[in-house]
Amino acid sequence: MRQIAGFLLMVVTFGLAWLLDHPINNVPGVGTLPPIGRVIDPVNGCWANAEDAKKDFNGSLAFPALQQKAEAWFDTRMVPHIHAENSHDLYFLEGYIHATFRLWQMDMETRAAAGRISEVAGAKALAYDRLQRRKGMLYAAENSLKAMEGDPRTKVMMDAYTEGINYYISKLKYRDYPLEYKLMGFCPEPWTNIKSALMLKYMADDLTGSVNDIPLTYLREVLSPEIFQLLYPETIKGSKQVIPAGTVFEKPSLTRPAPPVDSVFPHFTKKDFKDVKEDGIGSNNWAISGSRTQSGAPILCDDPHLGLHMPSLWFEAQLQTPGMNVYGVSLPGAPGVIIGFNDSLSWGFTNNYRDVKDYYLIKRVPGSSDKYLMDGEEKTFTRRLEHIIVKGEKEFIDTISYSVHGPVMYDEHYAADGGLDKPLAMCWMAHKGTNELLAVYLMNRARNYNEFVDGIINFQCPAQNMIYADKAGNIAIWGQGQFVNKWKGQGGFIMDGSKKSAMWGDLIPPKENPHALNPAQGYLASANECVTDSTYPYWYNGTFIELRAWRINQLLAAMPKATVQDMFAMQNDTYSILAANALPVMLKHLPTPADATEKGYVDKLRTWDYKLGADGVEGSVFQVWWYYMYNKMWAGFNNVPALLYPQAERSMQLLQAADSGKVNIKQLANLDELMQASFRQTMDSLKKAPNGMAWYQVKNTTLTHLAKLPAFSFPNLKVGGWGNAINAMKSNHGPSWRMVVQMSNEIEAYGVYPGGQSGNPGSKYYATFIDNWVTGNYYKLLFLPNSSQQNNKEIKYSWKITN
Amino acid sequence: MRFILLLLIILVITPLAECFLPWWMIAVVPFLAAVAMNLRGGASFLAGFVGIGAFWFTAALMKDIPNAHLLSQRMAHLFKLGDYGIFLYVVAFIGALIGGLASWAGALIRVRKH
Repeated sequence: MRQIAGFLLMVVTFGLAWLLDHPINNVPGVGTLPPIGRVIDPVNGCWANAEDAKKDFNGSLAFPALQQKAEAWFDTRMVPHIHAENSHDLYFLEGYIHATFRLWQMDMETRAAAGRISEVAGAKALAYDRLQRRKGMLYAAENSLKAMEGDPRTKVMMDAYTEGINYYISKLKYRDYPLEYKLMGFCPEPWTNIKSALMLKYMADDLTGSVNDIPLTYLREVLSPEIFQLLYPETIKGSKQVIPAGTVFEKPSLTRPAPPVDSVFPHFTKKDFKDVKEDGIGSNNWAISGSRTQSGAPILCDDPHLGLHMPSLWFEAQLQTPGMNVYGVSLPGAPGVIIGFNDSLSWGFTNNYRDVKDYYLIKRVPGSSDKYLMDGEEKTFTRRLEHIIVKGEKEFIDTISYSVHGPVMYDEHYAADGGLDKPLAMCWMAHKGTNELLAVYLMNRARNYNEFVDGIINFQCPAQNMIYADKAGNIAIWGQGQFVNKWKGQGGFIMDGSKKSAMWGDLIPPKENPHALNPAQGYLASANECVTDSTYPYWYNGTFIELRAWRINQLLAAMPKATVQDMFAMQNDTYSILAANALPVMLKHLPTPADATEKGYVDKLRTWDYKLGADGVEGSVFQVWWYYMYNKMWAGFNNVPALLYPQAERSMQLLQAADSGKVNIKQLANLDELMQASFRQTMDSLKKAPNGMAWYQVKNTTLTHLAKLPAFSFPNLKVGGWGNAINAMKSNHGPSWRMVVQMSNEIEAYGVYPGGQSGNPGSKYYATFIDNWVTGNYYKLLFLPNSSQQNNKEIKYSWKITN
Repeated sequence: MRFILLLLIILVITPLAECFLPWWMIAVVPFLAAVAMNLRGGASFLAGFVGIGAFWFTAALMKDIPNAHLLSQRMAHLFKLGDYGIFLYVVAFIGALIGGLASWAGALIRVRKH
């Protein structure tokens, strides 16, 4: 009896241990849980990730793969400063250090790029993975990998970087795994060069991924040409281009092709479109010539706005070899420094937004599934099988047909947003075998403007507005990417894929890309606005936004003696051009407020300085009011989907025009009623604001952990700004790296990013920089001289590395 | 006396085993030790419970204090436990319970009676 009880108890006990050794997936009433026993184990589980706050990072290391000895120093903020004697050793160490601090993130981001999340997260990620596969992300990375491995410089860079990561991984035991591996229950896998290529495609997708061709095709069906022009002008009135007016462009080597005589834009019937309005990703950069700075040296500023995540996309690093000394932010997952400066020059990026992604309607040969027509001739699709491994379930295989244009992304098995299920092929610059890594390699080593330009012309996708300043006193900007010599209108809408005349033509030689060097105005700026005026010889379109550019130009033009402090203030500027222009009209047409509370808000708005400060309620009232007014203004207008309501800046201009009787459209016929109704909604909605009325509480800027775990995220940060202010701090997008570099004899550089150098939630370096990023403070960046000996009091730890 | 001995065996062997083998050594070691020591069920349970509880609690504390509770606070939040202290107690309790049950089962399953 006793033994039977003992046996039963043994079964229960070991059963319990077994349960706690396994994850629980979607069990009703329990949800999803990690393998609890493994995770809470004090020896090997999460506690092994509880990094000693006084941990001594000093070390003497031996890496047999190195060719020569090397050093690394970590400063008080845990920024590594790596000195190696050759490129191989340098990128080996960069890979090793990236992996040391950010391994799980690198793994997840490259999995996300490739469409391999289901492997570790299960069926809930299948739809996302499928989207990535249909876009041809892996195909794109494979093409670029060929180019990257085809160049001896980038081949060494990638191989050594991969080797460094794998050396780190090879030394790991379960207890050393980053915490998230333990929580999600998977293991690090060996790194390969394709993963670095995927990391760059991940950025290309983020920055050139969303185009409106499909919904615009719909609008073309429902709007008259006059209204279409009024709401969606190719260039918005008052546009302040990236390239200053009057800049003389290179003489074009290609003539612009004539539009095809017959229509290459197929017609569709009305479809429903998904009801989402997503603002684009924006960024600011500018450079001021020495003639307009207090110190007499040029100043360069950049703050790329990207998704706000923990761990941050960026990792600060300084890289030195004989002949190269560069500092800036790197992308864990790719070698080199992406944005930063070296001892001669500095550079920064904003997204360029010229359209490099078009869709073609494929005409299949009737009765055949593997053939399509091109000018009457039959062509055969190339098939690509995408195997998506799904954790806990059987593999999902998607067959994707590739046409001459590119992958047939949408078809009857996979509908586009809004349910368009005709075969649509995607033609995308990111699919081409481009070598952005070579641009990084050369930029990092460039010593002057010409070397810089020779480097960046290899940066083909995603196209960027690249700002430049050097110690010699030059400032410049390039609208750099690989572009196609398009006929006017090409690619604005879905095109007929069965006509050669609709296909992409010649590539524009990169040296003819729009650029400006040392303009008379003494400064250059870009904030995702239109790139050039109409004197630029080639035709292009894109999704450009103007509001921040107007404010930046306004401030820079009025700043004859700029200092780095002025630049800090500018990057943190929360003045809303939108409010300054729209609010007077909105208030003018607002009938008497209903009660004392409402009157209180209206009075506040009347005396407001248009700054979207964190604590103010004016920002909350204005933004919420604008939101309701804007949606009311366009709701139901010719069935325009919300995704495609006219831009905020265009709506603002139309509002002003309607106020002065210069435009007459139904939606703006009764401004009093529009304002009254939307103000009413605003008041009702703000009364219910869950966190409070202050602007930061209403917008709720959050740094979200990549696995969306609230425990590792930072919600409700006390920051002002919004997408229409220079400090473009939205709910989940914002300044991902604020950098100010003064190119004086001794370079003075400042920077801050939301996050910390360590990706480990159990490290004190996980969230180090968040407070200063929130308050708008900067760190002075420690730029060490190029030497194997360092003696700087800010160096906290050093690694002596032998081979 | 044998109670103290069983407790000591559990306290010494389990941490060593856990350095090389998986976490569920906290069930295997108390179970085998209890089979060997042949105590009564209640005393055996207590030795396993206290032994593993003390081991896990101490081991976690030794990580937690130098870490300034950074990780434990986040883990507590992750498991909706409110506070790092509660998380520590829950960890120790789960360990203790498995250790106690295993040790108890070991005592009961033993064939010979004394």
